[in-house]
Amino acid sequence: MADISKEKMDQIAQMWNARGKGLITHMALEIEEVSSKGVRIRMPFNPDFCVDADQTLLHGGILTALLDSVFGLANFVSIEGVSTMATLDLRVDYLRAARSRADVIVSAHCFRKTRHIAFNAGSIWFDGHEDAEIARGTASFALTRGDVSLFEAMTEGKAS
Amino acid sequence: MIDLQTVNANLSRVPFFRFLNFEVQSLDSLHAVAEMTFETRHIGNPVMEHYHGGIIASFMEATAAIAVHPDFTEVPAKPINLTVDYLRPGVKGPLYARANVTRKGRRIASVSVISWQTDEEKTIAEGLYHFLLV
Repeated sequence: MADISKEKMDQIAQMWNARGKGLITHMALEIEEVSSKGVRIRMPFNPDFCVDADQTLLHGGILTALLDSVFGLANFVSIEGVSTMATLDLRVDYLRAARSRADVIVSAHCFRKTRHIAFNAGSIWFDGHEDAEIARGTASFALTRGDVSLFEAMTEGKAS
Repeated sequence: MIDLQTVNANLSRVPFFRFLNFEVQSLDSLHAVAEMTFETRHIGNPVMEHYHGGIIASFMEATAAIAVHPDFTEVPAKPINLTVDYLRPGVKGPLYARANVTRKGRRIASVSVISWQTDEEKTIAEGLYHFLLV
């Protein structure tokens, strides 16, 4: 985490703790690692996200939502001066059935950033089974640069 | 063809479908239309109160799976992969999805889905989904 400023880490923690509502809160994400090279996030098992009566099989959609969220965080930490960020497109491959009650681990990074666009890639596996990826995704994001940082917009309620 | 009431009763047994909170409005052998109710837990941007992109993609995937296999018994149709284009933000309020099965072979189905809010012409997102039928 050495290459991220303390200020940025504090901002991430503040943003993470102040979310209050919405899907990211519901997913109860925990940061495992953050650097400008990428991020690693843990999502605890949640029976609400399953499709079967036994509640052991995750719906693909929650994995897609997880990738989308974590790409956003990866962009926030690796790109300076972004005021808004919107997902342009997303591709997800479901590599095997997501059947487990283990926590889910997501690793994501931004592999190319330009003035207007960020390109991301990420993988998902169950904790302890890094060799058995359950999903892989790529996405592109439209960025707006400006004076109001994304952080300010998120925490002070300014319209972005 | 399975009736809507039975389909919606089946959907309510799927935990994640209850989390999404949607209902199928119409169905035939190649199409499904569904309506999702806005919930605080669907929010992606807490300032603007927009839908999370992942919730939109999940709702479209669920509608696509029903179009492919409306009378599933245990779990919905198995997804292989998806691509989604996000065209406009999804604002507070109901969201609709229309899934159109473009090809259903013996092993694989391709489904194209659009979602909208007040005007079907003003697409919020469009997606292509593949399902494994075996």
